Amino acid sequence: MPQLGESIAEATVVRLMVGVGSPVITDQEVMEVETNKATMGVTALCSGVLDELRAEEGVSYAVGTILGILEVTEEEVVRTGVDTIESLEKKRQQEVTDEQNVKGEQNLHFAVDGDGYEEAAPPEIVPSVRGLSVPTGTMGAHYISPRMRARMDEMGLREADLSAIVGTGAGGRVTVDDLERFLDYIQTWPSSNASPMRLAVADAMRRSWTRPLATVGTSVGLDKLLAHRRIQTKKAGPTLYLLRAFALAIKEQPEVAGFLIGAKVVHPRSFDIGVAVAVEDGVLVPVIRQVDQKSLVDLVQEYDDLVDRSRRRRLTEADTKGGIATVTNFGTFGLTWGTPIPLPNETLILGIGAGVKKPVWSETLSAFVPATEADLEMTFDHRVVDGGGAGLLLRRIVALLQEPETL
Amino acid sequence: MSVTYIDAIREAQETLLREDPRVFLYGQDIAAFGGAFKATKGLAELYPDRVLDAPISEDAMAGMAIGAALQGMRPIIEMQFADFSSIAFNQIVNHAATHFYRTGMPVPITVRLPSGGTAGSGPFHSQSMEAIYAHYPGVVVVTPATVADAYSMLIDSVKLDDPVIFCEHKFLYRWLKAKSFQGDGLPIGKARITRTGRHATVVTYSAMVHEAVRAAERLQKESGWEIEVVDLRSVKPLDIDTVLASVARTGRLLALGEAFPWGGVTAEVVSRVVADGFHLLEAPPMRLNSRDTPVPYHPKLWAAHRPTPESICDSLRKLLSY
Repeated sequence: MPQLGESIAEATVVRLMVGVGSPVITDQEVMEVETNKATMGVTALCSGVLDELRAEEGVSYAVGTILGILEVTEEEVVRTGVDTIESLEKKRQQEVTDEQNVKGEQNLHFAVDGDGYEEAAPPEIVPSVRGLSVPTGTMGAHYISPRMRARMDEMGLREADLSAIVGTGAGGRVTVDDLERFLDYIQTWPSSNASPMRLAVADAMRRSWTRPLATVGTSVGLDKLLAHRRIQTKKAGPTLYLLRAFALAIKEQPEVAGFLIGAKVVHPRSFDIGVAVAVEDGVLVPVIRQVDQKSLVDLVQEYDDLVDRSRRRRLTEADTKGGIATVTNFGTFGLTWGTPIPLPNETLILGIGAGVKKPVWSETLSAFVPATEADLEMTFDHRVVDGGGAGLLLRRIVALLQEPETL
Repeated sequence: MSVTYIDAIREAQETLLREDPRVFLYGQDIAAFGGAFKATKGLAELYPDRVLDAPISEDAMAGMAIGAALQGMRPIIEMQFADFSSIAFNQIVNHAATHFYRTGMPVPITVRLPSGGTAGSGPFHSQSMEAIYAHYPGVVVVTPATVADAYSMLIDSVKLDDPVIFCEHKFLYRWLKAKSFQGDGLPIGKARITRTGRHATVVTYSAMVHEAVRAAERLQKESGWEIEVVDLRSVKPLDIDTVLASVARTGRLLALGEAFPWGGVTAEVVSRVVADGFHLLEAPPMRLNSRDTPVPYHPKLWAAHRPTPESICDSLRKLLSY
């Protein structure tokens, strides 16, 4: 079995391609083997006739195992320099002699009283992850040594930053050496410094992503909303309709917006909902207070002010604190659907895509009629809510949007 | 012309006798017979009134030495085997170790302990007592691993005002040779980097320094690992700064000792490195000691009992593969 890769100790024979008595030529593929990394062919080292086949399909062999023996001419042996049965035996004997010589030298040490002892032969190195246990059963960067943690802190790195590194330590853990090699490697790529805004978003998303987040979606008809909007003097955008519907729906079953900490679910204190505002190189989420107690008309001015101050980066810390959920309108980017990620301190985020005119089947008219619809997606922390509960909330929002005059 | 470890101990005692009239040697069969290991050979002829045979009572030897030290002398007492010093334990740890603390009067005695195992020495003639003495405040415990250290550290021990336990390894007596007694003159309390490396640190002392170096050479040849070996030289004071600096370079620690595995110097080293250098560690620190049984007599059992280059290599492979 040839050395198929740096860390390969053994391989399984998948398919034998020649039988005893078949002639083979140099570099001909004679069998296919599979390692934990890939499937590959084993080729003949020289030309000859297969005299003995020792390998069987489905069996694993360590690197260095003789898989078969070829009958080869003297000239071919000289030409290719391959090992023969005799040369292998000679090598083996040489190793035994070397080992004895080494032992002789080791025993000098104990010759003090002329009563030496024979030291055991050094054990073979078995390529294995056994030994000191790594406190994780999984592969990858899960276990981080104290030294690695210190180095990461020094560099301002987080676990998510290690995702690109293939670990070479026990259990596939990423060692400090792996990290240093990776850092050297990325030195050769063009790079720039991330803006403070980018880092803030990255930090929030990384923290949020530690939870099991799931997304559900449905489509919602917008015609009634748009019709209602048309007749208003002070016009609220679709985001505000959504904001109101979201707040009212949550208020009916506030536990879905609960925040799980240990064995405790922390419930909303006030129905304060954030609105995602795209700004240069990031996103800000100002919070509108007590959305359940304000009319659409009341919300317009507050919303416009917050969006304006967000874009000018004039939000105060108080403007962004204490939300229980967030609304994001990625329809403004021309997108129809997405999987938004809630803020790390919130359980829910509701996203809406761009309104699209579609033919919808009308039972009463027995015909397709044009309707404006948009996709509505809600991402939730699956520890707190299940698909059913999230679906119930989402359908309630859809229903509320069909009665825009109540919002 | 080479000199041995035991030559260094004899030579240091001769130097001390010659240069300091307060120095005298006291021990069983050390005068006319020259000592069980010939560490005082010929000294009684040179200084007949200061190389004295003692009765077979380690307790009396230590007690007499303490009294003489309080009267201004600098006694060196030879325990025939470190194991027998347990009989003088009360004198050493209760009286000598506490005396300066209690009265302000120092007790400058040096207790030579022929320590450690040699093939076929069995349970009463092989033990390593350094950790037991190091446990007590008020004593200095030195464990030289080289010919030059055996020489200079014995001279320094006698010059110290504190009681010093001088652990000399019997295995090194005639096995270890050097060109001369002259070394780098490191003081007691400073560890030495015996071999530099960047993949793992072995912290050890006394005869195990040589086993560690042999293991390191083997691993270097076999797989290119570069192992750093730190010789503590004195286990008390323990030069933790040098150890931490080494672990900072390598990230991996094997604490190696010939003494029994329960507690002891290796446990102390690991505990201090974890407490002060947690952020330096790339793998859990390991310890390798002898087995937790009395030291066996049969050479093959003894070889299985104490750390050997093979078992050190095994531990290091585990440590390096983490």
